[in-house]
Amino acid sequence: MNYIFGVIGGQSAGPQPTGAETVQKLCDRVASSTLLEDRRDAVRALKSLSKKYRFEVGTKAMEHLLHILRTDSSDTEILGYALDTLYNIVCNDEEEEPEENHPKQEDDMGVQFTDKFIQEPDNVTLLLTLLEEFDFHVRWPGVKLLTALLKNQCAQAQGIILVSPMGVSRLMDLLADSREVIRNDGLLLLQQLTKGNAAIQKIVAFENAFERLLDIITEEGSSDGGIVVEDCLLLLLNLLKNNSSNQNFFKEGSYIQRMKPWFEVGDDNSGWSAQKVTNLHLMLQLVRVMVSPVNSPGGTSSCQKAMFQCGLLQQLCTILMATGVPADILTETINTVSEVIRGSDVNQDYFASVNAPSNPPRPAIVVLLMSMVNERQPFVLRCAVLYCFQCFLYKNHKGQGEIVSTLLPSTIDANSISAGQLLCGGLFSSDSLSNWCAAVALAHALQDNLTQKEQLLRVQLATSLGKPPVSLLQQCTNILSQGDKLNRRGSRVQTKVGLLMLLCTWICNCPIAVMHFLHNQDNVPFLTGQISENLGEDERLVQGLCALLLGICIYYNDNSLENYTKEKLKQLIEKRIGKENFVEKLGFVTKHELYSRAAQKPQPAFSAPEHMLFDHEFTKLVKELEGVITKAVLKSSEEEKKEEEVKKTIEQHDSIVTQYKELIREQDSQLKEMKEQMASLTLQNETLQNTTTQQLSQIQQHKDQYNILKLKLGKDNQQTASQVDGAHVNGLQLEELSQLREQLEDLHRENQSLQTQLAEKDNVITSLKAEGVPSAEGSTSENTEILRQVEKLKAQLQSQTAEITQLQTERQELIGRCETRATVPVTGEDSGYSEKIAELESRLSTQNTETQKLKEEVKALLEGKESMEKELASATSTVAILQAEKSKLQKEVQDSKKEQDELLMLLADQDQKILSLKKKLEELGETIDDEDDLDTKDQFDDEDDDDEEEDEEDDDE
Amino acid sequence: MAYAYLFKYIIIGDTGVGKSCLLLQFTDKRFQPVHDLTIGVEFGARMITIDGKQIKLQIWDTAGQESFRSITRSYYRGAAGALLVYDITRRDTFNHLTTWLEDARQHSNSNMVIMLIGNKSDLESRREVKKEEGEAFAREHGLIFMETSAKTASNVEEAFINTAKEIYEKIQEGVFDINNEANGIKIGPQHAATNSTMGGSQGGQQPGGGCC
Ligand SMILES: Nc1nc2c(ncn2[C@@H]2O[C@H](COP(=O)(O)OP(=O)(O)O)[C@@H](O)[C@H]2O)c(=O)[nH]1
Ligand SMILES: [Mg+2]
Repeated sequence: MNYIFGVIGGQSAGPQPTGAETVQKLCDRVASSTLLEDRRDAVRALKSLSKKYRFEVGTKAMEHLLHILRTDSSDTEILGYALDTLYNIVCNDEEEEPEENHPKQEDDMGVQFTDKFIQEPDNVTLLLTLLEEFDFHVRWPGVKLLTALLKNQCAQAQGIILVSPMGVSRLMDLLADSREVIRNDGLLLLQQLTKGNAAIQKIVAFENAFERLLDIITEEGSSDGGIVVEDCLLLLLNLLKNNSSNQNFFKEGSYIQRMKPWFEVGDDNSGWSAQKVTNLHLMLQLVRVMVSPVNSPGGTSSCQKAMFQCGLLQQLCTILMATGVPADILTETINTVSEVIRGSDVNQDYFASVNAPSNPPRPAIVVLLMSMVNERQPFVLRCAVLYCFQCFLYKNHKGQGEIVSTLLPSTIDANSISAGQLLCGGLFSSDSLSNWCAAVALAHALQDNLTQKEQLLRVQLATSLGKPPVSLLQQCTNILSQGDKLNRRGSRVQTKVGLLMLLCTWICNCPIAVMHFLHNQDNVPFLTGQISENLGEDERLVQGLCALLLGICIYYNDNSLENYTKEKLKQLIEKRIGKENFVEKLGFVTKHELYSRAAQKPQPAFSAPEHMLFDHEFTKLVKELEGVITKAVLKSSEEEKKEEEVKKTIEQHDSIVTQYKELIREQDSQLKEMKEQMASLTLQNETLQNTTTQQLSQIQQHKDQYNILKLKLGKDNQQTASQVDGAHVNGLQLEELSQLREQLEDLHRENQSLQTQLAEKDNVITSLKAEGVPSAEGSTSENTEILRQVEKLKAQLQSQTAEITQLQTERQELIGRCETRATVPVTGEDSGYSEKIAELESRLSTQNTETQKLKEEVKALLEGKESMEKELASATSTVAILQAEKSKLQKEVQDSKKEQDELLMLLADQDQKILSLKKKLEELGETIDDEDDLDTKDQFDDEDDDDEEEDEEDDDE
Repeated sequence: MAYAYLFKYIIIGDTGVGKSCLLLQFTDKRFQPVHDLTIGVEFGARMITIDGKQIKLQIWDTAGQESFRSITRSYYRGAAGALLVYDITRRDTFNHLTTWLEDARQHSNSNMVIMLIGNKSDLESRREVKKEEGEAFAREHGLIFMETSAKTASNVEEAFINTAKEIYEKIQEGVFDINNEANGIKIGPQHAATNSTMGGSQGGQQPGGGCC
């Protein structure tokens, strides 16, 4: 192995071979040697040169080394040397190297060799296969090499690993390696692997990463553990940040519960090492990732719930109130608690109930606010407290009410410090940062809460002795108007901006507060003065906010103050400021360089105290108001009137449409009712018809019996001879007559029921008419159906009547015959018989009257039917009218639907256009930034860009 | 919540057959007629009861497009159950079943339970694949079969639960190695005590030469 010494020793005589020559020689040897040992030695030599002659080895040896990896895979030693060498070539951050070397060039070299390696995706796949080799000397450098490749060309390497079968899964197995070095370097590898790649993050999570990482953290002693814990936490952050699917999996896997013990640090802690601070910091960040305001509301709220249920929030609050916690941990804990309670009423309620272990115990909120308005506290801590307070009040009307109530005369408790007192103290202290924080905090107590805006108007402040108290609202403007006399530590602008934001939030959407504000004669002149003046650069924002405040006074003005109606204020602007000028000044607000930064996320995070100017919620308010105020001011009163009229007609139109809609709805329900009634009517009709048929058949029976009777009577007439016979015949006749009578009675009863049923039907129809008349197709046809049935019924009744009449005449005849017969037999023997005849006669006559009655009843029935028919006819015509109306309405609805469809089409078109524009942009090489990039982007970025980002974020919320 | 077992499922099949809707119907009991195309993979979970035991189902809904195929493959190995879905109103989705099945069989563990699902059974009038065909395919390839509708929720519960039952039976029969989490099965906290022989099952071979 002389050649090695020749190179390394560098002391041999003769012309020294250059590094390049030696590397070339070694490469030839690697390529040509048939003996494994020779190759192995040559590769080992290359390895030892690979740092000093990195460029030469990289350019000349890579191909040979890759070849070795393919062909000599059975010899773990040569594999190890080859991998080590490749690692040295590719890796940039070699700590042993002196720092003076040109790091830039170094970086380039690493990337260059990485490109060369990755160019052939099979090389990466090969490396993945080699990682399955258990031998430490292969696996370890393999892991390091892959990590370096990922560091240099992340996206490309990720892409290759993602599509190689089981690629990601195999790398996950590294976490189970019993050798700590490999497991730990495996963690670093996975960190690189999961960076910014959601698909890989999900696969890693699927491969039980959460379970394994949480186990490692526990094994290593949680926050007391070393850098391995830190690495696990960093990997967890990679897996969860902005990955809703993994967050959901984390929550569903009950892993939130496993975070709780991390925060059991207690008061009697064994000191705070730097590592412990780092670990806890990451742990807190992990909690925040799960409940971040940028997550979907559903996801965040379910995590918030879980954090309360498992006691995590309670644990965090313990840290909040503990002593000896390092400031930055305390700050981050406050930020974390903020996001765990934000918008979750249960958690907010709990937070309101937390007490500090002081004597006497004070609410945590009060203790925190004390820090916020305390100049000696670190800036970031004060910001965190403000954030916490904002999150406590976010969508929390109850909490807002509680805070405001501590300022109201009736509820002030003189014995203890209240939140309200602290806020007032902050508002009027001589420290501008306290002014700003207190103003914003108070504004959040009023956000979207009309009741509290009105309540706060009641607050009066005692100023100097002997002078009358002044309202809180007025005191704010008083301070604003002090001008140069306003003396503050910090920045005067900060104080003014804070107060103006409070005033804008306060009177916005609250005409009573607007009136209170305008009521003081000094306020409007002050605002117009501020806006019209030509102030310096740093006062521009103040001017803009004054314009906004004045604009709100116009927009939410109920015209109850004669001197300051909408109209008069607008004239004032035109005269004193000029409309265009006003709008330009108003624009200063959103054009301010710090505006878009604040619009991005709710947390007040400022790089320096003097950058603390905008509040996130306030930026939302500005966005809402800028347009409408501009419009309101620019419009002339005539235009406004016109618009008002147009608005009115539109409103009228709208109300007409709604009326019609209501009518249709009403008619619909009526229709339904009517249909039901129709059904029952039809049923009744059927039973009626049945009854009629029955009656008819009974009448037929009667007729038959009469016929028999007639026949019998005829027989009697012919053979007047035999008494016995006659008696017999008469007996029979008598029986038949009584039967007849019974049947007539039945007939009568049935007619009666027929009549009552008809009356019922009549009733139904009248109520039908009273309840409103149906309007739909179908109802007419049903009506005609009914009509037809009634007609049929009528006909039947008529024929029935005719039959009854016929019956009657026949009976008359019968009676006549009976009479003639009675005159014939005058013999004594026949006296009994004639008596019987007389009886028969009288019975017949009663029958006669009964039939007469029946006839009358039938006639009445007929009349009832006729009137019913008339009513039905009129109902039908009403139906027709209503139907016409309805079809008109339907057409109107259809028209508006068509309009809507056209709008939708337009929208779709526009979407398409946007898409194609985007595509074009992409083709032109413009990249569309994603959110992660935004965070790190310079805050003074192009204004327009930032505005777009802010839109996106608002959509997220 | 405490569970006796945890099973991992994946849902596979052509794009548009209703995989995401099936998951949503199962986890949230609702149907969303218009929703986003699944990009990559989405997670969902629900607890069910089998044989009086609480079983937690963790389900990964995959994207059906060809370009995501390789990503989907990463999920086979760790899944205990797969729902292979086609659309009864689109014959092509039925025709592609063979490819899906080959892919699944190649990359999954051999015990993975596969449930074949003919979805959109509510669209009877537009049916292109007969129920008998689905049954025949399932019989031929040893799968369980069901027709479902993510819209009406018909058979959706049953599809997920019957798959779990099949896995559960395999566990009872001792077919599954429940101590190997890579199979997509995990024993719940209260059961773990009796079965805790985790870890240690590393790939043999010598311990390797120390540390640097
Ligand atoms: N009628 C009907 N439509 C369904 C059903 N399941 C899904 N869809 C529709 O089919 C389309 C694709 O569904 P999706 O779940 O996104 O399919 P994926 O690509 O497999 O996830 C959507 O428009 C759904 O509304 C079903 O059972 N019945
Ligand atoms: Mg989908």
